[in-house]
Amino acid sequence: MAQEVGTVPCVEVRKVSKTFPNGTVALSDVSLTVRRGTVHGLMGANGAGKSTLLKILSGAHTPSGGWLLVNGQEVALSSPVVANRAGIATIHQHIPLVPTLNVIENIFLGSEGIGRLPLGALDRFQTLCGHIGYETDPFAIVGSLSIGVRQMVAIMQALMVGADIVLMDEPTASLNENEREIVFRTVRTLATGGTTFIYVSHYIEEVLSLCTFVTVLRDGRVVLDCAAADTDAEGVIEAMTGRRIDRGSARNAATIRDGAPRLEITGVSTAAGVRDLSLNVHAGEVVGLAGLLGSGRSEILSALYGADRRVAGTVRVDGRLVGRGTGAAVSAGFGLVPEDRWAQGLVRQLPIFGNVTLPKISRHSFWSIWPQRESEVATTEEVIGAIGIVSKGPHGLVTELSGGNAQKVLLARWLAARPEILLLDEPTVGVDAAAKADILALVRTFAEQGTAVIMVSSEFEELLHVAERILVVRDKAIVATRVTTETTVEELMLLADRPEKEARAA
Amino acid sequence: MREAASPANSGVIYALVFLVLALTILSDAKGLPSYLSPINVSNVFDQVALVGMLAVFTTVVLISGNFDISIAAIGGLGAAITLLLVDELGVAGAVLAAIAATSAVGMFNGFCVQKLGINAFIVTLGTLTAVRGLILVITDGRTVIADDPANYKRLESFVDGFVPAPALVGLIGIALIAVSAVQYLLTRRYQGQVGQNRLLLAASGAVVLLVGLSGFPPVRLTYSTLYLFGLVGTVWIVLRYTIVGRRLQAVGGNPEAARLSGISVDRYRIVPSVLNGSVAGLVGVIYSARLGAVDPSALHGFELTAIAAAILGGTSLFGGHGSVPKAILGALILIVLRNGFNMLNLGSNYQQLVEGIVIVAAAAVYVIAAQSASQGGRH
Ligand SMILES: Nc1ncnc2c1ncn2[C@@H]1O[C@H](COP(=O)(O)OP(=O)(O)OP(=O)(O)O)[C@@H](O)[C@H]1O
Ligand SMILES: [Mg+2]
Repeated sequence: MAQEVGTVPCVEVRKVSKTFPNGTVALSDVSLTVRRGTVHGLMGANGAGKSTLLKILSGAHTPSGGWLLVNGQEVALSSPVVANRAGIATIHQHIPLVPTLNVIENIFLGSEGIGRLPLGALDRFQTLCGHIGYETDPFAIVGSLSIGVRQMVAIMQALMVGADIVLMDEPTASLNENEREIVFRTVRTLATGGTTFIYVSHYIEEVLSLCTFVTVLRDGRVVLDCAAADTDAEGVIEAMTGRRIDRGSARNAATIRDGAPRLEITGVSTAAGVRDLSLNVHAGEVVGLAGLLGSGRSEILSALYGADRRVAGTVRVDGRLVGRGTGAAVSAGFGLVPEDRWAQGLVRQLPIFGNVTLPKISRHSFWSIWPQRESEVATTEEVIGAIGIVSKGPHGLVTELSGGNAQKVLLARWLAARPEILLLDEPTVGVDAAAKADILALVRTFAEQGTAVIMVSSEFEELLHVAERILVVRDKAIVATRVTTETTVEELMLLADRPEKEARAA
Repeated sequence: MREAASPANSGVIYALVFLVLALTILSDAKGLPSYLSPINVSNVFDQVALVGMLAVFTTVVLISGNFDISIAAIGGLGAAITLLLVDELGVAGAVLAAIAATSAVGMFNGFCVQKLGINAFIVTLGTLTAVRGLILVITDGRTVIADDPANYKRLESFVDGFVPAPALVGLIGIALIAVSAVQYLLTRRYQGQVGQNRLLLAASGAVVLLVGLSGFPPVRLTYSTLYLFGLVGTVWIVLRYTIVGRRLQAVGGNPEAARLSGISVDRYRIVPSVLNGSVAGLVGVIYSARLGAVDPSALHGFELTAIAAAILGGTSLFGGHGSVPKAILGALILIVLRNGFNMLNLGSNYQQLVEGIVIVAAAAVYVIAAQSASQGGRH
C-alpha cells in the first residue's frame, strides 16, 4: 500500500514561520511534505501551531517567512478564495456555517450561479449523502442543529466544492463513534480516489490508523515526521509533550453513599422536550450521560441548569429548592461548561481574567460593586497554572488562544468559582491527549472535594474512566442506568443506538 | 500602555486635536478672531451638551447590544410635556412628569426588544414615529410656550448661568485623585501590584488639578455643559470601575455566555433602555428651558448625531465594547466641524458632505486597525 500511494509530493511546506502581531511565535521553520492521495496526520499539544499551519495553507493567515508549493509550483495563498482556486478546501476548527440558512443552502454557499441554489443541488446533495453514507435533513436550519451535525454539514460543504486537497482541523471533535466512522470511511474513499488530506486531531489512535504519514509539532517546530507505521501512540505522545503520560484505564466503582443526595431532581420537564426527568446525585459522585448526537444530552443539562425554562418539576440542592433561571442556579452553586465554547461560553471582548471571573465576580469585589482586579488576576493566574493554559497570562485576549486552550478557560472559570454542582457538556473537546488526562483527573478532584458532577461526553471511554454511574440518554430521556464497573463501551453504544437499529429492521 | 496609543484607541483624540489646530490656523490666516477664543470654546461646549448627553446613553445602549433611534423624538416629547405642564404643576412637577413619561417610553422599547424579541431597529423606528405623532397630538401641531413668564423664568434658571472652567477642571482633577485613592485603599492588600496604573491616574489627577488652580482655561462654561460633564463622569465611573460595567460588556458581547454565567440579560438590557428614555427626557427639559418654546419637530436629527458620535468614539454596533468619554470627543468633532464651517464661512452646503465622510473614514480606521491587530483571525 505504502508503495502505491504517496510518492508524488502534493503540498510542500518549506521553512514556514509565523509570528502574530502580539509577539506570539506560533510556527518557526516548519517544513513538511504531503504526498498525493495520502492522509497526512498533524498532531501536537494545544497551542502547538496546528491550526495556524492550516490557516496558512487555507489562505486565512499569511506566513511571516518561508514558502509553499502546491503540485510542485510555488504559490502565494493570499486569501481563502485563492486557496480555493488552487483546489484547497478547509474545515476549520470552529465551524463557520451560516446559522440562519438551512443545510443545503450552507453546503452550496460557495457555488456560483444566480439562483439561491444551483440547479440539481438536491440531487447532488443526495448523491453525496449516499456516497458517504450519512443522512440528514437538507432543509433543517443550521442554527437549530447540534454541533456534531453541523460538523458533518461543514464536511459535506468542503467535499461538495470538489477540492483535491482537503484540510481538516479536528473534524471529529464532539462526534460520536458512529459519526466518526462515517468521516473515516469518507476520507478513505476519497483518498483512494486521489484526494489529499491534512488531518489534525487529538485522537492519536484515530490518526495512526487513518493516516499514512504523521507530523508532530511542539511549540511551533516539527519534532516528529514519519510514516504512521513507524511509530505508535506512546511515541507520538512523547514527541508531543516531551514526557510520558499515564492515560490510565482505571474505573471507578460506585460507592454506596448514605444520607441525602446533594442534587435532587423530580419530574422536571421543559419546553425543549425533556419529560418528567428524575435523578439524584450525591456529593462527590460523578455521573456520566452517554448518548448519541441529538439524543438530548445537552437539553437535559439545560433543564437542570434552568437555561431552558422548566414547565414542571423541581430541582433541589441540599434540600433547598432552586428557583427559575440561570441566575438562581448559579447562586445555588451550579456551574455549567457548555457545548459550544464560542457561542455559549466565552466573551471575546473580555480578557482571560474577565472570562474566568464572570459568574462569581462579586467574590472578587468590594461590596459587590467595585471589582478588585488584583484578586481576579491572582485567581486567574492560579487556575491557568492548575489547568495548564498556554497564554500570554490573565490579561491576554481569549481570541488569541488556540482552540484547546480556549476550552480550558471555560473549565478554569468553574474551577475558580468552586461550584457545588458541576455540569459538563463535552468538556474535553479539542483538548490534547495529555491535557485530557489532566482534565479528567481534575473532574475527579472536583468530586473528591464534594462537588456533584454530571458529565456529557461523546467518548464513552472517557465516561467509563471518570464516572461511577452512567445514564444512557435517548430521545431526551434516560433509558438505562449502568454502574461503570459492570459495563463496556460496546454495551453503551448498543443502548444508546437501539431505536435506530429497530427502525431499520422494521 | 503601548495599545493605548494605537489609532483604534486614541484616533478620536488625534482627530479632534488635528481639527482644532487646523481651524485655529485657518481662522488666524483669514484674520478672524481666534478659533480658541473663550467665547467660541464656551459656545462649542454649550452646543455639544445636549447631543453629548444623548450620545452617552446611546453608547451605553450600544454596549449592551441594543440599538435606539427614538431618543430625539423622546427628548422632544419631554420638552413638550415640560412646557405644557409647567403652568399647572410648577417646574418640579412638570420636569418629573416629563421624565416619567420618557422613561416609560424607554421601558416600552426595552420590553418589546427584550421580552418580545422584536428587532431593536424596528421597535425604535416605530417608537420614533409614534412619539412624534404623540407630540403632534398633545401640542395640536403648534409651538408650545409657557403662558406665565414667571414659570418660564424659574425653568430657565436651571440653564441660565455660567461656571468658570478652571473650577470644573479642578473638580475633575480631584475626582481622578479620589478614584485612585479609593483604588489604592481597596487594593493595598495586594502590594507590589499596586504600582503604575494607580500612580498614573493620581499623577494625571494632580496635573489636572494644578491646571485648574492656575486658572486655565480662561473660559466660562454654561450650566448645560456642567450637566454633561456630570453625566459623563458618573456613567464613565460606573462602566469603567464597577461590576455593572463588566456585566454590561458581557451581556453585549455574548448574551448567551452571560446568561449561562447566571447574569440576568433582561435586566442588563432593559435598564439601559429605561435610563436612555430618562436621559432623553432630561435633554428635552434642558432644551425647553433654553428655548422657552418647543415645536413638534424639536431635536429633530439629534439621534443620528448621537449615534455618529458613539461610532466616532469607537463604540461597536454589535455590542460589548464602547467608551463614553470617547463618544463625547466624537460629538465634539462633529460640533467643531459644524461650528468651524460657520465661523470660516465655508458654506454650509459642504458641511454635511464633510461630516458624512468623516464618519465613514473613522469607521474605516477602526475596522482596519482591528483587522491588522488580529491578522485576519476571524475564526
Ligand atoms: N490570532 C492570534 N493572535 C495571537 N496569537 C495567536 C492567534 N492565533 C493563535 N495564536 C497563538 O499561536 C499559538 C498556536 O495556536 P494554534 O491555534 O495554531 O494552536 P493549535 O495547535 O491549533 O492548538 P489546539 O490544539 O488548542 O487547537 C498559540 O500559542 C496561540 O495562542
Ligand atoms: Mg487548533
